[in-house]
Amino acid sequence: MTTTTAGTWSKVGRGFRGAGTRLAYGFGLLIVLMLVWEWATVSFPSLFFPPPSKIFESSMQLFFSGPPSQLFLTEAVTVDVAATVGRMLLGFVLGSVVGVLVGTAIGRSLLLRQLTDPTVEFLRSIPATATLPLFIILLGGTDAMRVAFIAYAVMWFVLINATSGVASIHRTLIDTGYAFRIGRAKMLFRVILPAALPRIFAGLRIGATVSLLAAIVSELMLATNGIGYRLTLAQNMFKMADLWSWLVLLAIIGFLLNTAMEIVERKILAWDTLSRTQA
Amino acid sequence: MLGLVGVLALVAVLEVVSRLGIVDAQFLPPFSTVIATMIGLFGDPEFLLVVGSTLLTWLLGLTISALVAIPVGALLGLSARTYRATRTVFELVRTLPAVALIPLVIMIAGNGLEMKLIVAVYAAVWPILFNTIYGVRGTDPKATEMARSFGQGRAEIIRRIVLPSAAPFIATGIRVSSSIVLIVIITVELIAGGTTGLGAFISQMRVQGDEVEKVYAGILVAGLLGLAINVLLGALERRFFSWDTTTRGGV
Repeated sequence: MTTTTAGTWSKVGRGFRGAGTRLAYGFGLLIVLMLVWEWATVSFPSLFFPPPSKIFESSMQLFFSGPPSQLFLTEAVTVDVAATVGRMLLGFVLGSVVGVLVGTAIGRSLLLRQLTDPTVEFLRSIPATATLPLFIILLGGTDAMRVAFIAYAVMWFVLINATSGVASIHRTLIDTGYAFRIGRAKMLFRVILPAALPRIFAGLRIGATVSLLAAIVSELMLATNGIGYRLTLAQNMFKMADLWSWLVLLAIIGFLLNTAMEIVERKILAWDTLSRTQA
Repeated sequence: MLGLVGVLALVAVLEVVSRLGIVDAQFLPPFSTVIATMIGLFGDPEFLLVVGSTLLTWLLGLTISALVAIPVGALLGLSARTYRATRTVFELVRTLPAVALIPLVIMIAGNGLEMKLIVAVYAAVWPILFNTIYGVRGTDPKATEMARSFGQGRAEIIRRIVLPSAAPFIATGIRVSSSIVLIVIITVELIAGGTTGLGAFISQMRVQGDEVEKVYAGILVAGLLGLAINVLLGALERRFFSWDTTTRGGV
């Protein structure tokens, strides 16, 4: 996405620079909304929308009432959150590695690009979640199935971005590498991948979001643990406060994941002007 | 031309692998069987209704997302204060994977059309919203100042300068969201029991277990829908915004 800062727009921002106002702008609305929600749901109790205080209470009970030996974490955290996050990270890494490898190979060769273009275009148009039943048929309701499904969903975004990133490297850059007679490995790791990295990272960022989504979807079918499984369990047992606690936790996990990706990207791509203007 | 060779090669490999029994036909039926099944399904009015239901939900979901996201995005793009005040809330709300809402929304709205639309819109408003904000913020200040000096009012400036200038960005957002809406709707149909639609069809065929080729055929149809939507929206975007160079090859 292209970010253009209009002159008038940034001028408005200059009015409030103090830390206090910044905090007020950052969290003011959040706090106001929570208070309104609290007031509304206490005054007019609703089956489906428990007050935030009740969600907080049930979160503490659900996540932090475990034995001291486990740092007060409950099984919900040590088993279910750990299972979801573990499968998500594993799927993300696998999908990213395959995506970068295959994408780079396709991006390097015009012939391969022409050969695979319509196939890739079609396969990536298949909504990844529609293939979940297929993964279940092939691998059963196992952890391996879930990881493979997550990796598959992540792979396409990384693959496409790696392909276009590698394919659009300026000819001069590669020719310079050849002129200096650097080896193939050096060419790949010191010239091609760094040059394609900004694009690859765009794919990785989408991939991270997709990995969480795919992890949850994979746990809504035939699962015995994980956050998705706990969500359906809370639904079936009509535990609304628990359901909301899981949703809040998921939003926090998603937020942390995004933030982590942004930090890594800013560190690694500090030299790249494109990523800096995008941040 | 070479692309066709690639497609045919893949098809041939899939066919041979299944015919020679390298992979059991129970897991991977020959590709020709899958294609025959798919063509057969297209002759089945019941299946066409299933696909039609998914497409209609898609159209409704995308329309509602645009109707919600464009005005809100325009407001946030025009007012820096509103944008700053709402940013944290939006950042938190949008990181929640929409599919996680399925259990909650089923309890509130049942498992019909409304439920699908709520989850789909929740997922799809973000690209349109953020693209609208960027587009509106990127309006050339000289253009708005000139319009003002010609005595145009605020509403007039928004209608004649700001929105047209943001339109290519909005179009990109709609294109991105159109795939998201399709993915989410098919996911919801897949997960939530007792719904109709292509996702439900694929899920039911898996549970029945004796017609794996119908699972494959359903997934192929989902891919065709996805491809058709990508091509259509991409073509519309080029048709109407080919004058704008900033969005070409974007996102």
